Formats: sequence, structure tokens, C-alpha cells
Amino acid sequence: MSHDTHHAPVASKLDLAPERSDLGLLRPDRSTGLMDWLTTVDHKKIGILYGAFAMFFFLLGGVEALAIRTQLARPDNDFVTARMYNQLFTMHGTTMIFLGVMPLSAAFFNFLIPLQIGARDVAFPRLNAFSLWTFVAGSFVLNASWLFEFGHLAGWFKDFAWYKSLVYTDFAPANGWFSYAPLSGTFGQADAALHAPRFTGVGTDFWIIGLQILGVASLAASFNFICTIVNMRAKGMTMMRLPVFTWMTLITAILIILAFPAITVALIQLMFDRQFGANFFNPSAGGQPILWQHLFWIFGHPEVYILVLPAMGIVSEILPTFSGKSLFGYPIIVFSGAVIGFLGFAVWSHHMFTTGLGAVPTAAFALLTMAIAVPTGVKIFNWLGTIWGGRIRFTPPMVLALGFIWMFMCGGFSGVMHSSAPADSQQQDSYFVIAHFHYVLLGGVLLGLMAGLYFWFPKIFGRMPKASVAYVASGMVILGFNLAFGPMHYLGLAGMPRRTHTYHAGMGWDTWNFVATIGAFILGIGVFLAFANLVWTAFKGEKCSSDPWDGRTLEWSLPSPVPEYNFARSPIISARDAYIEHKHGGHKIGYESDGGEAGVHMPSQSWMPMLASFGFLLIGMGMPMLAMMIPHAGWIVIAGIGILFLGIWLWALEGPGGYMLKTPSGSTSPSPVSATSSTH
Amino acid sequence: MFQVRKRVQADACQCDSFRELRWRLTLIFLMFSRFFHRVGILVLPFLGLLMTACSRADLEVRQSTLDPKGPVAQVQYDVFMDTVYLVIVLFVLVGGLLVYAVARFRSRAGEVVKPKLEEGHGNPLVEIGLITASIGALVFIAIPTLSAIWYTDDVPKEAVATSKLSAWYPRVDANGKENYAKEVEDQVLEIDVIGKQWWFRFEYPQLGLTSDAKRTVPNEFYIPRGKAVRINLRSEDVIHSFWVPKIAGKVDLIPGRKNYMWIQADELGHYYGQCAEFCGDSHAYMLFRCEVVEPEVFAQWVKSQKTDAAPVVAGSKAEKGKALFAAKTCAMCHNISGHFGAGNFGPDLTHLASRKSLAGAWLDNRDPKAQLALELKEKNTEASMPVDPAQLKANLIKWIGSSGVAHGADGKPTPDVKPGNRMHYYKMFNVVGLRESHQKFTDEELDALAEYLLTLK
Repeated sequence: MSHDTHHAPVASKLDLAPERSDLGLLRPDRSTGLMDWLTTVDHKKIGILYGAFAMFFFLLGGVEALAIRTQLARPDNDFVTARMYNQLFTMHGTTMIFLGVMPLSAAFFNFLIPLQIGARDVAFPRLNAFSLWTFVAGSFVLNASWLFEFGHLAGWFKDFAWYKSLVYTDFAPANGWFSYAPLSGTFGQADAALHAPRFTGVGTDFWIIGLQILGVASLAASFNFICTIVNMRAKGMTMMRLPVFTWMTLITAILIILAFPAITVALIQLMFDRQFGANFFNPSAGGQPILWQHLFWIFGHPEVYILVLPAMGIVSEILPTFSGKSLFGYPIIVFSGAVIGFLGFAVWSHHMFTTGLGAVPTAAFALLTMAIAVPTGVKIFNWLGTIWGGRIRFTPPMVLALGFIWMFMCGGFSGVMHSSAPADSQQQDSYFVIAHFHYVLLGGVLLGLMAGLYFWFPKIFGRMPKASVAYVASGMVILGFNLAFGPMHYLGLAGMPRRTHTYHAGMGWDTWNFVATIGAFILGIGVFLAFANLVWTAFKGEKCSSDPWDGRTLEWSLPSPVPEYNFARSPIISARDAYIEHKHGGHKIGYESDGGEAGVHMPSQSWMPMLASFGFLLIGMGMPMLAMMIPHAGWIVIAGIGILFLGIWLWALEGPGGYMLKTPSGSTSPSPVSATSSTH
Repeated sequence: MFQVRKRVQADACQCDSFRELRWRLTLIFLMFSRFFHRVGILVLPFLGLLMTACSRADLEVRQSTLDPKGPVAQVQYDVFMDTVYLVIVLFVLVGGLLVYAVARFRSRAGEVVKPKLEEGHGNPLVEIGLITASIGALVFIAIPTLSAIWYTDDVPKEAVATSKLSAWYPRVDANGKENYAKEVEDQVLEIDVIGKQWWFRFEYPQLGLTSDAKRTVPNEFYIPRGKAVRINLRSEDVIHSFWVPKIAGKVDLIPGRKNYMWIQADELGHYYGQCAEFCGDSHAYMLFRCEVVEPEVFAQWVKSQKTDAAPVVAGSKAEKGKALFAAKTCAMCHNISGHFGAGNFGPDLTHLASRKSLAGAWLDNRDPKAQLALELKEKNTEASMPVDPAQLKANLIKWIGSSGVAHGADGKPTPDVKPGNRMHYYKMFNVVGLRESHQKFTDEELDALAEYLLTLK
């Protein structure tokens, strides 16, 4: 197999001669502008794209939430219909989890992991691009359901035969983010065409296929990161010298590959129930609705640790940096992360305490759920130990990280309350649960991710977000969030169930629902302000040095923005927190003799991953259209399958490619850091 | 932060008053947000809870879980309070340490922070001590949790002696009729709760109030005070959940699964319940009520449920209404013993006018102002006004005529009372709802129909 690296090393990819892949097609190696972003395999650009999409979907999910809160601000309200409300809370949850938090975490994984371990890119750059574009395809499929719903409400479809024959006209998913069967499934007997009656319309089908596609994206990314972290660490970067964020990424990736198969299976079974006359969850034909819950939650509980561990990793980087101290108990923090991941698979039925499991399983899961509070508590104690005796600098990332500890602790408290099954039988499916998971997800994960954004933004774009705006936005987020979700603890204990479109005035829930709505709007404005500030900063922000915070880990040793090749010469590590040791301690970072005029090997850009993802997009659009019996929808699905396989086949056959890029060979040590930190 | 402060001090000397004002306002805003960073976030989550805890009335709202009226709810409440005490201790300890650390170890203005590099290994003794303390704290709540799991699982053996039917319910009544068979006299009262989209049907198999006997009880069920009652939970379609917070925590109704629970209410009154598992369009509208009465009153109620509806007075509006009940296809789904016996798809209407709520307990048949005044006067939400015929009639007209099958005073089609409800919207097999079959009701028809239904006491 001929490699395209036979040409001489170049100073810039624009100096490359046009090259053809093994298939004879032109490689997009010399692309600039939009073409560059679409064909990139550079982990840093992919990270930025993930982040941009995630912030957009956070705002979309936020709009859905504000619609929910507006509807609930007053009793007997009719701001939206019950059907629309059910779609709103379903899409809000699904969007925030799968299109908001997970891709924002992926943005950090992508950008940082190679930099933190001293590598030039991930193990499989094209697979990385495939993950990104498959995520985009899945997010489009999921939100296409809204387009159909709005078309239905606007009456665009009323003259079509397929529309007139629909039994249920709910186009956006409306069963909640965990879509329990049999509401999402079938009942009774299937007819000759293998269709059993259903309770819901094609919205459920959009949800099923959208989640499957998103699952593929997550799995591919996880395989990539595990291989990268295990195999591509720089010389001397042992596992126990890895930054905690890298460790948490590794554990998260392992959780993903162990947990996603459960939901993949569940979704396939549900799809077969709905489309092909299977009866997995149909009790009138011998199926068991509770099977859905078990399969979903065996995925669903590890999923929440998938959501939170990266944020914990981020906080574990920020706290030492701004306390001027090492992380307290590094091995225990890493180990507790692994224990949380492991125990996360042992507690799933605490979501099912009210399903009549029986006293013994209920007791077992209650005790295991209490047990998982221990490693989580250990982390909080170790974070406290980190700032104890330090010199705390209250930069925006640090304020948010401290907020994370506080809010996540409160969310953990309500979690401990849920772990006691008898108490949970009053709290389950009420606003108390909503308060709990928003405290851990919003107060915890979102604050942690925002802290990470403010922390690493200077590294990503070489520009510093304005601190004053950051403080105002963070203040609004923290204030609004507590005002919105604090009262929900009371509302749940006062008997208000979740997922309810409205409530009567005599129930005693009026005041605090109104207060919660006010808080939600303050929170929304704060988040919007934070994101707008960050986006503005990326283009017009004040430039800053490459190490504005006196950072501890390897990425801070690189220029900002980071050059394509990451490290001019590959580093040789001899301590944990390698960069701070290099600057202030005794362990200097060594450098290998690669790079320079001989160049480093860079991967080639490619269209093929996106082509394969486009196949998924067509499958994802075609299958619900097939369920709606839109004419020729089957051809769309077949075309999608064809394009998916074509994309993968061309991807395999185009050959690995690659070219040699010269790197600066002057000073081998990173830019010197002045004794006084510039910002703050 | 220090950078911002310096800028403000420098600019405060500017003569431009607008600029000065802007800086002062910015400073106030920033201090405000900084205040919240340091202190506000510590206080806010619990401010709300504290404020409500100060008001007893807020803890006794209709579906409060903090106002237990029976042993099951009481035990669940007690376990919950154990977790609250634990959490308060942890909050004060850990939260206090966090606040202290943040205050004590902050860097001072102008200070150059030289990072410390020596540590990183933590302190094993501290770690093991904290882990042990955590486990100990959890044991504190684990023991009452386990005890409560077993207590709330099924009727305790101690309760059977006083709660079995023969202990409080005469087996044969004054006229010699059997209330229940001899075989069941040592059982506690059992109620079958059947959930359907979007209402609850209650059956008392031991007492002959069953589907087979065409004597079922929709949406409002009665139990005797102070007696343990076993509930069998069944669903005919999707998953629902049975939740009367003041009496017990919820258990789900899962189709194909034989879930059960037990309840006991020790105070008389009218209790509020709601479906607590998302079940479709009208999940929010699937409420129900529980009436707790003395055993003698319970026996009378059972007897009344076994009577047929009284004949309508000839020539009255009610007679017209009865004819409409058949003509408008109501009889296809609704049973009225003694008048119409074909349908059991919808709620049994034989004793409709004696119930305090309508349409899945979503509409209330009591005078709303009087009810609220009574609750305030009695300082509890279990006190109940009787059924107000005027309110019931208005509710009937509103409910039957909803979803566009009638028109309001403004000529516009009436809106939904329960979105997607089966009475109006169903369209499957051979059952077609009022709206789907394009039924139309004039004001007179609704009036006559309501008059008829008012006779069904």
C-alpha cells in the first residue's frame, strides 16, 4: 500500500501538492475555511465543533424548559396544550442530556486529552470525525420531529393521504426522556401487517432512531478515547501521572461502552414491538413492561455517572490550579471515580422502587445506593482537602468550581434521601426528584462544564473572556438556579407529581411554582449571557498569554491557540502535574528529538466519515417516515444504508494517507512564565 | 476581581458623572453577585424550605407527604425525617468546612501565589476516618430503612386481628343478607384498583362490588377508619401509579403485573390522590379521592352501592335526559344499574350524583368558596362540604359539552376539560368517542342530560 507521505516535509499544509488517495480521489488536505472544518480530523477543531453544537442545543433545551415553566407559573394555565407540554418536557430532557451535556463533555475530551497526555491527536482521527458528524445526524433526526409537529399544527400536511390515515398525530416524542413501555409500545394483538395498536404516534419512532444514532456516535468516540489514553501517552506519562480529567475521561468511556448496549437492545426491542409485531413489552401477548425499565435503567444509571464524572474531572483540575496546591489524595480520587463507575451498575433499580419489586430486591438496591454515596463523599472531602491550606484565587472558573462542590453536595443530599426506599415511595415521580437531579446536573454538571469553559477558553482561542461579565453571568446562573429548583423540594413533598401539564389552585402549589418560574428565567438569561460572552470572546476577546492561570498540566505548556501539531517536540514526563513541576519544582519536562525540519506525521483530512454519517441521517429520517407510511420513505432508508456502507468502504479503501509537517525547532522549552500571573 | 476593583477606584475620580454612575452601578451589581457567590449560594437552597417550614399550613396541603394520617405514611415520614436529620448534620459539617476554607484560605490582594508542590498524597488516616464516618452515617439511615421496607410491604400480622372483616363488619346484615362470604371473613378488606387512561376503577371483590356484578366504583373509593386494607393494583393499558400521599407512598399499576400494597387511614376525612406515573395526554388530569369513614358508615355505603338507580319521574326534564342518554350513545360505555346495562368501558354512573368529584376527580362538585372556607376553619384539608347540586350540574354540562361537542355563549366550540379523553376522543375498534363520532349537544340537551344524571344518587 503506498503512503502519501513520500513528499518532503512542509511548513504548512497549504504548501502541499494536491494528493490523491488510494482510491484516486483528491484528499481535502489543503482545505481552508468551511471545507477545512467539514473535513477536519484535528481533535481540536472537532472539539470546538462539539462545543458549538452543544451550546446551541443547551439553549434550545433551555427554551423548551422556559416554555414548561411558563405553563406551570399559574394554576389551570393554558400557555401550551397538554400534548405540546408532554412533548416539551420529553424533548427538554432528551436534548439536555444527549445533545447538551454529553457533547459538551465530548468537546473537552476531544480538545484536551491528546494535549494532556502529550500526544499529537487521538488514536483514530477519522473515527473521531465520524463520531462528531454522527452526533450531528442524530441531533438533526431528533429535532426533525419538531419540524413535523409544527408542520402538523400549521396544517401543512392536511391534504396528504398518509397524514389523513394516521391514528395518532403526535410527531414529537411525548413519553418522557425514558419513554416507559407500554405507553411507548404496543398493546393487544398485531394485525396481518404485523402492526399492533399503539398508544403514541411517530414521535416515539423519531426518539428511538435518534437515540440509536447518538449511541453509535458515543460508542465510537469512547473506543477512540480508550485507545488513545492507553496507547498514546508520551514517554514517562504513566497512568498515575495522568491528569485527573484524563482519568475521568477514561472511566467515562468505559462506562459508555458497557452501558450503551443495554439501551441499544431496549430500543431495538421497542422498535420491533412497534414495527414488526414483536411483543417484548406487550403484556396481552406475554411481554413484560418492566423489562423496558430494567434495560433502560441499567443504561440510565451509569449514564448519569457518564454525565457527572467529566465535570468532576474538570473541577479536580481547577481547584488545585487556583489554590496553588496539589490535589489532595490523587490516588484516592482516581480510585473513587472508578468505584463510582463500577457501583453505578449496581444501583439501577432505585429508579424502580415503586414498581413492586419485592422487599428483598428493594432492600438490596437501597443499601447499594447508600453505598455509592461513600466514594462520592470521598471526592468532596478530597476537594476540601485540596483548598485547605492553599491560597485561593477567585477567578471565574474557581468560583464556578466552588459552586459545583456546593450544589453537587446539595444534590447528593436529596439523593441520599431517595436511597431510602420507603421515603422514596413518597418522593418518586414528584417534583422532589426533579429538584434532586437538577441540583446534580445543573448545579453540578453544568457549573463544572461552565468552569471548564472559562478555564480552558484562553488555551483554545488565545483570548480571555471578560471576568466582569463572567461573574455576572455566573451569579445569575447560581441565583436563578437555586430560585428555580430549591422550591421544588417543597413542591414534591407537598404532593405535586412530575410531568403534569397543569394543576388546580386549591392544591397549595401556586406560590412556589411562580417563584420557580422567575428563577428559571434568571437562570436562562445567565446561561445565555455566559455563552454569548464566550462566543464573542472567541472572535473579539482580549488576547492573553499561553499560561494565564499558572497552570499545572501539559496543555498549558503549549502556545494559545494550540498549533496543529500540538507539541513541536514530543515531551518526556517525569512527574505528575508535569508543567507546574517544570516551572516551579525540580522535575523538568524533557523533549524527544522528533519534529523540527524532519517534520511530524499529520493525519490526512477526509470526506468519508461525514459521508457515512450522512447515511445515518437518511436512515434516521427515513424510518419514522416509513412508520408514517409516507410514499417512497423506504427508498430513503435503503439509500441511507447504502451511503453508510459506501462511506465506510471508501473510508477503509482510501488508505491512511498523512503528510509530514515541519515544526519550530528553536527553543525546546515552552514559553517562559512570568512570576506574576497576568490576569486576576 | 482585584483587577476590577482597581479600575473602579481609578475611574471614580472621573468628572464625567454618567461614567461614574455606570461604574458605581457595575460595582454594586458585581458586589451583589459576589455576595451571592460567597454567601447567597449557601443560603438560597434552604431559604425556601425554611420559609415554608415556618408555616404549618403549607405542610398540610391536600397532597402533602409531611402530614401522615395513617401508619404506612407515618413510617415513611419517620424514615424521611431520619434522612433529613442526617443531611442537616452533613450540611452543617461539610458546608461549614467549605465556607470556612473559602474564607480562611483566600489569597490576599496583590499577593503572588507560589504554588506548593510537596503534597499530593493526601492523608490516609483522614481518608479512612472519613470513609468510616460516612459508612456509619449511612448505617444510621439504613436500619430504619430496612425496617420500614418490611413493614410497608404487606399488612402486618398484628393488624390482621383488628382489621379482618369479621372484626368490624357484620357478615350478615339486619335483613339476613350476606355482606361477604364465610371463606373471606378472616381476610382484611381487599380493594382492586384498576387504572385506565385516565381514571381509576375500584372494585371490592369480597363485597360483591365487581365488574361481573356490574357494580364498580369509579374515582372515589371508601375505606373504614383505622382498619388495614390491602390494595391490588392492576392496569388495563399503560403504567399508572396510585398515590394518596397522606395515607401511603405510591406503588405503580403495571399491566401484566400483580402489584399490591396496604394502607390504613386513622383519621376521618376526604383525601386527595393522583396518578403518579406519566400515562399519556391527560396524565395531569387523572386524580382520585379516598373517603375515610367509620365502619358503620362504610357498611351503609357498600349497601347503597348495591342499589339500582331510582326510576325517573315521568314527564320531568330528567326523563328527557334519560332518553338522550341512550340516543347520544352514552349507554354504550356507561352502566347505570336499573336503567342501562350495556356498557362498562367508561365509569359506572349509577351513583354519580353522590360523588364529590367528576371527570377523574378533575372537577370538584362542592361549592369551591365554601370548601376553601371550611378547610381554613377546620385547619385541615380532609374536611369536606357535601355535594353542591348546582356545582355538580354546572360540572356535568361543562364536562359532557367539552371538546367542541357543544358551543359556549360566545359561539365558539368548547375547549377540552381533559385533553384526549376517551369519552370525546376515542377512536378504536368499535368504540367511538363523542367528538370523533361528531355528536353535537345543544344547551337544552345538556341541561336535560344533567338533570337526569343529578337523579343518580
